[in-house]
Amino acid sequence: MSHSVRAARPISPKRVDLSVRIGSLELRNPILTGSGTFGYGDEYAHVVDLATIGGVVTKTVTVRPRAGNAPSRVAETPAGMLNSIGLENVGLERFRDEKLPRLRKLKATVIASIGGETPEELETLLRALGGEQGVGAFEVNFSCPNVAAGGARYWADPGRLERTLAMLRPLTPKPLIAKLSPDVTDIRETARACERGGADALTAVNTFVGMAIDLDAMRSKLGKATGGLSGPAIKPLALARCWEAAHAVRIPVLGSGGIASGRDALEFMAAGATAVQVGTATFVEPEASSRVLDEMRAWLAARGHARVRDLIGAFNAEHAQERAPRATS
Amino acid sequence: MAAVTRTWKQVAARVREHRAYGPGFRWLELDVPAGFAAPVAGQFVQLLLDFPSPVLLPRPMSVASASKRGARLSIGFLYAPVGAGTRALAQLAQGATLHITGPLGRGYPLEERGTPVLVAGGRGVAPLLMAADVLARSRRRCEFVFGARTAKLLVGLDEARERLAKRGSKLHLATDDGTRGFHGNVVQLLTQLAPGLQPPVVIHACGPHGMLGAVARWAMANGARAHLAMESVMACGTGVCRGCPLPRSAAGRERVLAEGAKAAALKGNPDWAMCCTDGPVFEACELDWDRVE
Repeated sequence: MSHSVRAARPISPKRVDLSVRIGSLELRNPILTGSGTFGYGDEYAHVVDLATIGGVVTKTVTVRPRAGNAPSRVAETPAGMLNSIGLENVGLERFRDEKLPRLRKLKATVIASIGGETPEELETLLRALGGEQGVGAFEVNFSCPNVAAGGARYWADPGRLERTLAMLRPLTPKPLIAKLSPDVTDIRETARACERGGADALTAVNTFVGMAIDLDAMRSKLGKATGGLSGPAIKPLALARCWEAAHAVRIPVLGSGGIASGRDALEFMAAGATAVQVGTATFVEPEASSRVLDEMRAWLAARGHARVRDLIGAFNAEHAQERAPRATS
Repeated sequence: MAAVTRTWKQVAARVREHRAYGPGFRWLELDVPAGFAAPVAGQFVQLLLDFPSPVLLPRPMSVASASKRGARLSIGFLYAPVGAGTRALAQLAQGATLHITGPLGRGYPLEERGTPVLVAGGRGVAPLLMAADVLARSRRRCEFVFGARTAKLLVGLDEARERLAKRGSKLHLATDDGTRGFHGNVVQLLTQLAPGLQPPVVIHACGPHGMLGAVARWAMANGARAHLAMESVMACGTGVCRGCPLPRSAAGRERVLAEGAKAAALKGNPDWAMCCTDGPVFEACELDWDRVE
């Protein structure tokens, strides 16, 4: 793969090939919405043309319905926000009976996020959903910072990740994407464990564990002591984790963390991501994912890049001291 | 499956007027482009400051007036600059632009039959100023009960008086310290007024959650219906982030479970209601007032 990232004559934005591939899943472009920030897609269908963005990652579903955490669940912090939602969701049965039929009607590639407190719960979910129509891939949420059991800490164990993915891999013909926590000593270890277990791709990263204290009340600004930090505040941190993960594995990586512009998205791709997820930016601007896509296309066209794929890992080609990433398609 | 029609959108709006409005309060009037749906009293709008803003997230704010000037919609807000977001908002000059998302949430069911009693606490008066307007336009009388800790916190009093005068509606004031009107709180005043009200009584209220809980309990104990506009910290305001939970009552829970799939589109959760999409206006019986913070 060549990395022709030097300036060239501008081309028409229509001529830019934005398609990328995540395992067997072809995406029309690399812009996805992050899990938990876009509902089940139809909530935003009247403001974002779902036929244009790369895909929608749905709210994490668990075997049983989860009521979520007690208030407060969100608190703004400098250039970011903490959340402690606690995986509120309708549970497997209602997801299959009520949400899936709606997802099938969307003009979007749907990636279903699943979460479990144990490997067995993930097995139950994939046995039930693995062959369902209307789902293009599964993202396994190994990194929720806000649940007592089966959260980011539980899934930080590389051995557990590898064994679990090896057990899950045969249960669906669709790509399995492992969403990783940034709160580990070395993300390359969890990334490699997922690859060895059979993951088709990684998402790097989920939110960072954070805190905010109301000093006057001497209590957390959330219902729990800690929450997950997202937004522009984490972008440089997430970018570094994404870059590390992308260079540790051969499988594609989906970049996530504070992406709010086309340039942000391209930074993650230059660092090695094959696609990206726009999350918190949607809370600020419902059409953020569309705008990020437009900005990405315009940036590429203005510099004469005919294929976004050529930008993947481009940062390393420019900086020869780092090992170049492998081709992803 | 219930068909859910979403009409909210994000648009650029322009500051038409921005002025002090009583001690510590401000009135913000925005010109809103065509295509932005006219809000219902009790609905809210997310206000987002343009770059560079000291805050990231938009701020949810209850609509205090909505008026058409020709084809142009203008929307008014009554607020107190108390946090980083609202203090920055307070700096906006006439002609400045910002982005607004809305209208969001469920407003007051003002069409409900009965004697409308609007109950406001402090700056919670904002959506009820609009409710009074709407009732006046549909030629309906109402009782307007307005309470605050002290007289100077009866913000928007002149505005309220003017709006009420049109239809012979009555304004009843209460202050905790007795500096104006009835010496006591709005629930005590309601109790005093109740015998003179033509049943059925339908309360529409907004104010601090403690006051709303007291109004809700009073209504349930006295056979009145009550619709309470709640507040919460929010992120998205559109139902997807699940960030603004309020505790449902047993009855509220039963109702969601009974509605089943039909309700699922909007109300996925029998335990917690989302302030943004299930509310911000709730019926008294829907919430567990002992657990409301």
